[in-house]
Amino acid sequence: MSDITRDVMKVKIENLFLYYEGVMALKNINMKIPNKSVTALIGPSGCGKSSLLRCLNRMNDFVPNAKVEGRIYLDDTDIYSPGMDLIELRKKVGMVFQRPNPFPMSIYDNVAFGPRLHGVTDRSRLDEIVENSLKASALWDEVKDILTRSALSLSGGQQQRLCVARAIAVNPEVLLMDEPTSALDPMATARIEQLIRNLKNHFTIVIVTHNMQQAARISDVTAFLLMGELVEMGPTEKIFTSPEDQRTADYITGRFG
Amino acid sequence: MMDINIREHIDLELKNLEEKLLKLGKLAIDAVSQSVLALKEQDVDKAKAVIEGDKNLDDMAEDIDMSCLKFMARFQPLGQDLRTVSAIMHMAVDLERIGDYGASIAKRAIKLSDRPHIKPLLDIPRIESDIRKMVFLALDALMEKDTKKAEDVCRMDDEVDDLERQIFRELLLIMIERPQVIEQATELLLVARTLERAGDHATNLAERVIYIVTGKKISASQIRRPREENS
Repeated sequence: MSDITRDVMKVKIENLFLYYEGVMALKNINMKIPNKSVTALIGPSGCGKSSLLRCLNRMNDFVPNAKVEGRIYLDDTDIYSPGMDLIELRKKVGMVFQRPNPFPMSIYDNVAFGPRLHGVTDRSRLDEIVENSLKASALWDEVKDILTRSALSLSGGQQQRLCVARAIAVNPEVLLMDEPTSALDPMATARIEQLIRNLKNHFTIVIVTHNMQQAARISDVTAFLLMGELVEMGPTEKIFTSPEDQRTADYITGRFG
Repeated sequence: MMDINIREHIDLELKNLEEKLLKLGKLAIDAVSQSVLALKEQDVDKAKAVIEGDKNLDDMAEDIDMSCLKFMARFQPLGQDLRTVSAIMHMAVDLERIGDYGASIAKRAIKLSDRPHIKPLLDIPRIESDIRKMVFLALDALMEKDTKKAEDVCRMDDEVDDLERQIFRELLLIMIERPQVIEQATELLLVARTLERAGDHATNLAERVIYIVTGKKISASQIRRPREENS
């Protein structure tokens, strides 16, 4: 069982507000994300959970007229401080998206893309990174003989595991996952869930999911958001059996959302 | 087009489970009441009917268990839905056990039917009546999600314990005075103890209701009067 008060905190969010075109999307979020564990963000569509996830590696910087207030600390570094190197930030905070989005290049080059970007040129070093990343994402055995084949020839589930391999190839500290199994069938979903459980030994994982059973299966801590506010955050088993807030209770029993 | 609301569907399924449990509860407590009546009136036929009815109770409890499993498989409940279905599974076991106690008292009633009573039976029917109230109140509490009623059930168990202790002292005196009735007195003692146990299961029912409603696991001892030392 996870004791969130005792665990080491990897990410600290303080008084975070997010506005799109002047409209408040996140309202005064305060949250601590424990290190080397899986934190699930749940809530109805439009509650701000993906927006919150995207704040964690400054993906919202790409959105015109998006404004962020407040502080997000990765360890002790304020990631919104003016001197922050975004390339360096996104190396530390990787992301996997809802739909698998491999680059139109070979399996090998997909995984080697990040390390090359960060200056790794030595072939044997790259080989090693590619192999380790594909092993960690439980894809190696299926692709080790076809590394030069196009990534687009893989199945959806394989593509998503490739995206995980690509994300972890640069050895991030935090892995953000935005509904990573919503486009996958149950078998492929099970493999990704298995993968997430294994990866948490090495990374801090934050996952947005619409599937509450999935959050219950794989996360240690669950945060429930509603209309841009953090309603409740706590150990997953507590949130799904006896939440404190009536709005959480209503949501997990399907009374709204 | 029919509008199927999954939330209403879940509520309906849970209501069905609760109603099945209610039916089991009525049968279980009737088994206890009838067995005590058979004991009091030395009615062997009545006692036999209770023993025969026990199979039916077991089947009903099994049916509730299966229905709960199916519900979980289909709806993967969370929150209060999850607490409710888990509590119902436990409550079915408690009720089935109460029914077993009825059958066990009925067997003693048959044993004791061929000899006159060693004393007028007053306190044993009184315990039975208390337990009957407790079970019904606990089931009411479940249907109405009423923690107040559930807490009352826990408090009522104090009286059951008092009565059982009183019966024990009384039968002890009888045994000292008339050793020839020790066998009968022992049977009655065991009946009283069985009823006291049934009271504990009724208290379990109440604790489960409190868990369903509040999400907090409480023990009846937190509600009942403090236990006296050496009691």
